[in-house]
Amino acid sequence: MKEKDDFFIGYIDEISNKTKVTLKTFVSLSLGFLILIAIVFALTQNTFKNSSFELTTSTKITGVYHEMPYPMLKVKTDKNEFKTIMLLGFGKLSANPFLKKIKRQTPNLSGSMLSIEGNLIYYNGKTLLQITSDEKITLLEKANPNRVPKAEYIAKNIELQGEIIDPKCYFGVMKPGNGKIHRSCAVLCISGGIPPVLATTDQNNISEYYIVTDLEGKPINKAILPYIGKPSIVSGTIYKLEDWYQLRISTNHIKELHLPSNIY
Amino acid sequence: MGVNYQTVLWNRNKKIYDRWIGLSMLIYLISFIGLTFITNVQTSVETLIIRAFGTLAIVLLHIILVIGPLSRINTRFLPLLYNRRHLGVSMFLAALIHGGFSLFQFHTLGNVNPIYALFSSNMDYNSLKNFPFQVLGFFALIILFLMAATSHDFWLKNLSAKSWKRLHMMVYFAYALIIMHVFLGSFQQQPSLWSTAILSFGFVVITALHISTGSKERKLDHIKTTDTNEGWDYVCDIDEIPEDRAKIFIVDNERIAVFKYNNKLSAISNVCKHQGGPLGEGKVVDGCVTCPWHGYQYLPHNGQSPPPFTEQVSTYRLKLIDKKVYVSPKALPEGTEVDPVIFNN
Repeated sequence: MKEKDDFFIGYIDEISNKTKVTLKTFVSLSLGFLILIAIVFALTQNTFKNSSFELTTSTKITGVYHEMPYPMLKVKTDKNEFKTIMLLGFGKLSANPFLKKIKRQTPNLSGSMLSIEGNLIYYNGKTLLQITSDEKITLLEKANPNRVPKAEYIAKNIELQGEIIDPKCYFGVMKPGNGKIHRSCAVLCISGGIPPVLATTDQNNISEYYIVTDLEGKPINKAILPYIGKPSIVSGTIYKLEDWYQLRISTNHIKELHLPSNIY
Repeated sequence: MGVNYQTVLWNRNKKIYDRWIGLSMLIYLISFIGLTFITNVQTSVETLIIRAFGTLAIVLLHIILVIGPLSRINTRFLPLLYNRRHLGVSMFLAALIHGGFSLFQFHTLGNVNPIYALFSSNMDYNSLKNFPFQVLGFFALIILFLMAATSHDFWLKNLSAKSWKRLHMMVYFAYALIIMHVFLGSFQQQPSLWSTAILSFGFVVITALHISTGSKERKLDHIKTTDTNEGWDYVCDIDEIPEDRAKIFIVDNERIAVFKYNNKLSAISNVCKHQGGPLGEGKVVDGCVTCPWHGYQYLPHNGQSPPPFTEQVSTYRLKLIDKKVYVSPKALPEGTEVDPVIFNN
């Protein structure tokens, strides 16, 4: 094509040299920008936690079932050593729909020895189990009230700073499982019955987790929804339930901090 | 140009264009995913997919938005415009993967419908800080879907070029929604000076290019002839029009193109029937006015596409007094035969 009257027609193969140079420059610059942007976006992500969700591996655990107020299983890990595993349902649902069948057969389930197969979720010393089918719950021994753990009073009017999270995502299913990006998901999880948990981090970067209930120790899923995923100061009464803390609160005592989420 | 609708009327240039789109997308994904795996090993596959494809869609959208004004500034960028719709569809697919995975990850498997959950999980619509940014992304994705779904010439023809253009101009609204989606979502959770700077730079470049080309077009639209001769408007001297090319003028608030070819002058509407391309920036090739955007062709003396094609544009009467070219401002019905003005060099 004559350079002096450069005219591109898409369905004709011929392209002038000057146009070729322009296109090569544009494509080279675009590719350079593309790589630069990939580097910037990749390297400016927050560090992901080393939390785990064993989606494709099933684990069977055996322990004492109790609800205070959320379903948990106290599992013996060693001689005189126990771990309380929080039970969760599939997806964004609590364990309750999956426990219905066995509860029909054994109405008073607290204190029973159960064997449950599911997917483990764990991070920072806490373990949770996702139950995917009510067929995978087996009653081994009927309820024994002596085996039910007791909530131990620790202190009242305690102020804690942190973020109310849904433990399923936070402890492994999602990365990140906290903050604004995850808030909608956390709201959906907690409205689906998953226990709300207050995650706190002290100045030494040590985290502690508090299962949140209402003042009477009952589930607080609905009333707490507007406060999820927002850094807040929460005050209430602390109880110890085996290796978990429980925080009994009134939502009137949640103060939003209007800060960016920072509980990594 | 095509007589029958085909999924894609492939040619060598389109194939090269698409190869570069695929290669560029692959380079971006490999760079982003590779770097994340190396530097942030605890990432999850779902998060990686959501972020890799979301950021890729934003980068592609920026490239798409600069191609238009660059082609107006320098015609050597026109090959980028020629197959831009394939870039647009590729960008939509990247955005769909981002949006689809996000919807599945964050809003499904709950106790309500995922779409309802998207709108109702976070009700802080009155707070900029807590605003449910996902909703902005959702609406942007709907617009991008409508654009991708109607990107074929079948829809261009059936919706009419004007409606199609209006629909596709919504890309600017989608761009605004996406910028807000990013700033009120990702950038709030993990503020980064570098990421903010990149998107701000992109915004400045896109805005500056559009203002620059927009003001150029505005100037053209405001040039009016003061020299009239018994209902004929003077437009230019014959020497001002290059051979096989045209000059664009505004008569009766319409853009027209006056072409000079084979010692003849003809005037037709400047607006191509295909996508509204500027015919006056085209060239007479094989006796036909050829649109610079996608090569649609019209015969200069009657504004009709050569058979078997059926597109038609308005024609205008011309007269030559000495070397002065005059046009009758009244547009003739599309496809009306007008004898060209013949002149001697």
